[in-house]
Amino acid sequence: MSNRHASNETTAVTRKTFWETNEPLILGVGFIVLVIVLWQIVPSFFTMSKGMKLFFATPTMVFTAIGDLIASGKLWPALRFSSSAFAAGLALAIVAALPLGVLMGRSRLMNELFDPFVTAINATPRLVFLPLIIIWFGIGMTSVIVVVFIGALFPLLINTYEGVKNADRLLINVVRSYGASEWDINRLVVIPNSLPYIISGLRLAIGRAVLGVVVAEFFGGSAKGIGVIMVQASSSFQVDLVFAGLIIFMALSLVLTGIVRAIETRFNRWRPEKAKTF
Amino acid sequence: MTAGYIQAKNVNLTFTPPNRAPVTALQEFDVAVAEREFVSIVGPSGCGKSTFLNVLLGLVKPDSGEMSIHGKRVAGPGRDRAMVFQEFGLLPWRTVEDNIGLGPELQGIPKKQRRERGRHFIDMVGLSGFEHHFPHELSGGMKQRVGIARALVSDPDVLLMDEPFAALDAQTRDIMQAELLRIWQEAKKTVLFVTHQIEEAVYLSDRVIIMTKRPGRTKSILKIPLARPRGYEMRVTPEFNELKLRIWNELKDEIDSQGGPVRD
Ligand SMILES: Nc1ncnc2c1ncn2[C@@H]1O[C@H](COP(=O)(O)OP(=O)(O)OP(=O)(O)O)[C@@H](O)[C@H]1O
Ligand SMILES: [Mg+2]
Repeated sequence: MSNRHASNETTAVTRKTFWETNEPLILGVGFIVLVIVLWQIVPSFFTMSKGMKLFFATPTMVFTAIGDLIASGKLWPALRFSSSAFAAGLALAIVAALPLGVLMGRSRLMNELFDPFVTAINATPRLVFLPLIIIWFGIGMTSVIVVVFIGALFPLLINTYEGVKNADRLLINVVRSYGASEWDINRLVVIPNSLPYIISGLRLAIGRAVLGVVVAEFFGGSAKGIGVIMVQASSSFQVDLVFAGLIIFMALSLVLTGIVRAIETRFNRWRPEKAKTF
Repeated sequence: MTAGYIQAKNVNLTFTPPNRAPVTALQEFDVAVAEREFVSIVGPSGCGKSTFLNVLLGLVKPDSGEMSIHGKRVAGPGRDRAMVFQEFGLLPWRTVEDNIGLGPELQGIPKKQRRERGRHFIDMVGLSGFEHHFPHELSGGMKQRVGIARALVSDPDVLLMDEPFAALDAQTRDIMQAELLRIWQEAKKTVLFVTHQIEEAVYLSDRVIIMTKRPGRTKSILKIPLARPRGYEMRVTPEFNELKLRIWNELKDEIDSQGGPVRD
């Protein structure tokens, strides 16, 4: 997204130094390391009663807990369960949101038909659907998938719609003048033009989907995922294990966001790079 | 005038943008162009020239009026026409080569043939070596040449050109004008050419249509009886300058009361 508004800036061809190419990674990872170090050493400056210590966990304790999870063989099935639910829900949301978003953006009729419905559901806190979903789909994978789907659907749908609506009229006219069908218009102009919107929708959707997995598992959507491990750990005051679950979810989000960024870069080759400024 | 190859009669078009006063771009506008004729349109900025080309291209529906090309009523875009757009309209995510291949691609011509045909026009507009560049890597004049090549490669009967050479330097412009005349004569095309440059209009055209300020109507039509092929030297002959002056005088009254770029 950061390059979208740089079209009025010229492209300078320069060889980048190691620092220039890796700056975001170094800064990002560096900051995380800093936080972990502080988290480890700051508590040692305070004296805590045994009771208080029950509620805290240092990074070493958390990583030990993750190690135990791996060693006991509990991590992989839980991770597989949570990530399958996540992947299935997100995939369904993409498959549903993209065509519907394009349809709503291109056709006034479709927009008038769906818009109030989408707005209404989007304005409703998704939590209220949870008991219903569990009643309808029972405890297990299906419920988690549905929760993820609902969470991811709306940011994707709304962003796709917004992007499609803002597609360049001139470019649409150009391809129309060469005999493009509605499908060609979408393929050649509308979708490439709304890709930045779709990708930022995807970013939001990933966040919502991860949240969906956690929430659904917390509220009894299943008995197998990482979220469940966290709930059980917290009810027995195993703070290190709760943090372990948290870290796993955070790592998952980081990896996924990285994948989205890679996709973005792949599709952004045609955009001007930001030139050096004075 | 008898029914032309391109025939537009009594075309009216008023834009009604939301929350803005309506703008009448074309009022009772008539044009008749013979087959293989080269006709230029000059007129003050904002008088409705681009709008008229868009109407003929089949992109914009007029409020009323009849348009036909080769006896066929204009109702939507068609493969018999191609436009060089004033604002270029290149797809920014496509390379030069793939932008130029747009028309043939939509005609279902296979990639290999597209490339071959495209290469010829890329050479013609002097962009060889830039096939794989993206539009943002090109200068304004280069983008414009991509737009010209894109229109030519789809080999239309009717070429609609909206200030196609406006962004070019004088030398490139001369070369492109000569190329255009050559293609027009060899490939037997009908050209409708919008320009602000009076000299260019006289040099290229069989006839020049002078439009009034907005709402655009035909103010007068001037025949250009200069012999063809026309060479560069023709531009310094008294006849040539006489024609330029006549157009300039016609336009002057329209510009005086409105302001707009007219150069010679
Ligand atoms: N889509 C639109 N909506 C509203 N008004 C428009 C639209 N397109 C053009 N107009 C108006 O119609 C008039 C004619 O515009 P047009 O682009 O045809 O002018 P033009 O003769 O091509 O001018 P120029 O020589 O500057 O290119 C202008 O006053 C313009 O503001
Ligand atoms: Mg114009």
